[in-house]
Amino acid sequence: MDALSSLWHGFVLILTPYNLFMAMAGCFLGTIVGILPGLGPSATIAILLPFTFGMDPIPALIMLTSIVYGSKYGGSTTSILLNVPGESASVVTCLDGYQMARNGRAGSALGISAIGSFLGGSIGGIGLIFICVPLAEFSLIFGPAEYFSLIFMGMLTVVYMGGKSIAKSLMSVLLGLGFCFVGTDPIQGAPRFVYGIPRLMDGISFVIVVMGVFGIGEVLVSAEERLKVQSLKVPFSQCWPTFSDIFKTKWTIVRATVLGFFCGVLPGAGSTLSSFLSYGLEKSMSKHPELFGKGAIEGVAGPETANNAACSGEMVPLLSLGIPSSGSNAMLLGGMIICGLRPGPLLLQTSPDFVWAIIAALFLTNFILLIMNLPMVPLFAYTLRLPYSLLYPIILIICVIGAYSMNSSIFDVGVMFLFGIFGYCMKKYEIPGAPMVIALVLGKMWETSLYQALNLAYGDITTFVTRPISAVLLGMAAVMTVLVTFKTIRMKRAMIEEEKL
Amino acid sequence: MRIGDRVFGMICLGLSFWLIIEALRYDYLTRFTPGPGFAPFWVGVLLGLFSLYLIVDSYIRKNKEKDEKPVLPGRSSLQRIGLIIIILVGYTLVLMPIGFLLSTLTLAFLLLYFLEKYSIGKSLLYSAIFSGGAFLLFQYWMEVDLPKSWLGLGF
Repeated sequence: MDALSSLWHGFVLILTPYNLFMAMAGCFLGTIVGILPGLGPSATIAILLPFTFGMDPIPALIMLTSIVYGSKYGGSTTSILLNVPGESASVVTCLDGYQMARNGRAGSALGISAIGSFLGGSIGGIGLIFICVPLAEFSLIFGPAEYFSLIFMGMLTVVYMGGKSIAKSLMSVLLGLGFCFVGTDPIQGAPRFVYGIPRLMDGISFVIVVMGVFGIGEVLVSAEERLKVQSLKVPFSQCWPTFSDIFKTKWTIVRATVLGFFCGVLPGAGSTLSSFLSYGLEKSMSKHPELFGKGAIEGVAGPETANNAACSGEMVPLLSLGIPSSGSNAMLLGGMIICGLRPGPLLLQTSPDFVWAIIAALFLTNFILLIMNLPMVPLFAYTLRLPYSLLYPIILIICVIGAYSMNSSIFDVGVMFLFGIFGYCMKKYEIPGAPMVIALVLGKMWETSLYQALNLAYGDITTFVTRPISAVLLGMAAVMTVLVTFKTIRMKRAMIEEEKL
Repeated sequence: MRIGDRVFGMICLGLSFWLIIEALRYDYLTRFTPGPGFAPFWVGVLLGLFSLYLIVDSYIRKNKEKDEKPVLPGRSSLQRIGLIIIILVGYTLVLMPIGFLLSTLTLAFLLLYFLEKYSIGKSLLYSAIFSGGAFLLFQYWMEVDLPKSWLGLGF
């Protein structure tokens, strides 16, 4: 009951004309940019972050939440109409979504995707309310050792669950940590990796890095690839699913919501795993599994619902522990830090208004996106026909404004361009960006926790394994590492055997 | 991606050496806790090890896997990327002296006219819309303080 009254308070806070406008603007911009091929949620948020600068924290967080969800909705449209997934979680949607679109059922696919996403996101939001508060209360007993182990496990899970190559994901995390070391060190307060440049004393801003890597890097990659897209047309008359479509997928949506939410709650598992699991589950439960891959509506409803339910589930570790499970959540966490919040177990105690405003915004955003997406799908689809040659100058301009406005410094703009070139290399050589962003956001906290834990234990390193919660978290990380190592060795052996044959 | 892996492995190996060498300049341990050089040192070591793994692995699987995409951009792509980078560097240099509006107008015009081969009229029109729109939106509506020219104006 307490949680519900807090949620009500959150709605009271956000339901002002200005905040509603910001939520709608965030949904619209998130969807429009998320639709652009190749731009996943992380890139969308990175490009749109400057729109929240100069705002009060609550409207800024509402807009950021709307952008996160809007970009997910936009990504589905690209998967269905272009067969180009904006992120790994949308890969499965392409399988049946694009086939449905080719069979003239693009409207049904987009419609069921919007309805499933709405239900998954909203019901997942209810789960969030009931898990977030007890988890945050439980995590109050966490000391620096537990926090260090939790961040360590969270980063490892992101590495093991995402990306094709574990070595590359690990390198991405290490690079993110490396960039964190620039600035004042958390022990002695001495400048580290600063080289006498005063602007580097505060470290490299997270915003500068993400806009460079995801915004400028994307522009450079597109300049090379000259992506030409051929979108399928969606007439206005075809943008609603039929009642039979909705009826047929009702249990799919229920199953995907539960599965997606719990996948999201696990640090690192998140949207990608949930969408793949949901697709597999629906295929195994279907009476006609042979239709999957040829345009089965359950193959769209399941992964899309699970994806959005996972997005709500991911908010649990984010809001109660301060641990992001995905690149887009790391961006949201970065946005919260920019707004002056200190994410972590104490967030719910120190800034309950903001937390409940974000949770209320999650429901509002899903509702706005449902209303916006069903009738406006043809308009969003039209965005795909805009030439990229006109879009990338706009992306560049927004990134420049974002970088400059952080400290009114041209130095930051230059650093962003450098990271743009680095981001181009990362994309070119298939290094996943999400682990780096997560390490970048959590790196300082991770290092500080390490030092604090050792200080409290008078330098005794066994403190990490003698404290029960920390030991369990590290044990989980160790088990994951062993399992993944065995899997990798098995795959390598299979490759060598195949090569011999 | 095997040559790509080698290239990226080399870049990261270089970064790892830099991290390790720099980390050695700071205290490794204090009385009870690791010093400022502790974490950078170990991150550098791990980055170096994974970079080596990536490089060695790319040689081990040389027979099986062929590069799907070219490792270096083609000549025309390289020219486009190079031109964008040159324009961006130039833009960074002139942003403060001539202000946001004029420099951004020039940036957009150069990209559209020279790179995208729009006609001069269209390039000017689109550049004016993009830079003017961004200026009005951010400077006046969102009250972001954009660089002003030496005349003290926004352009």
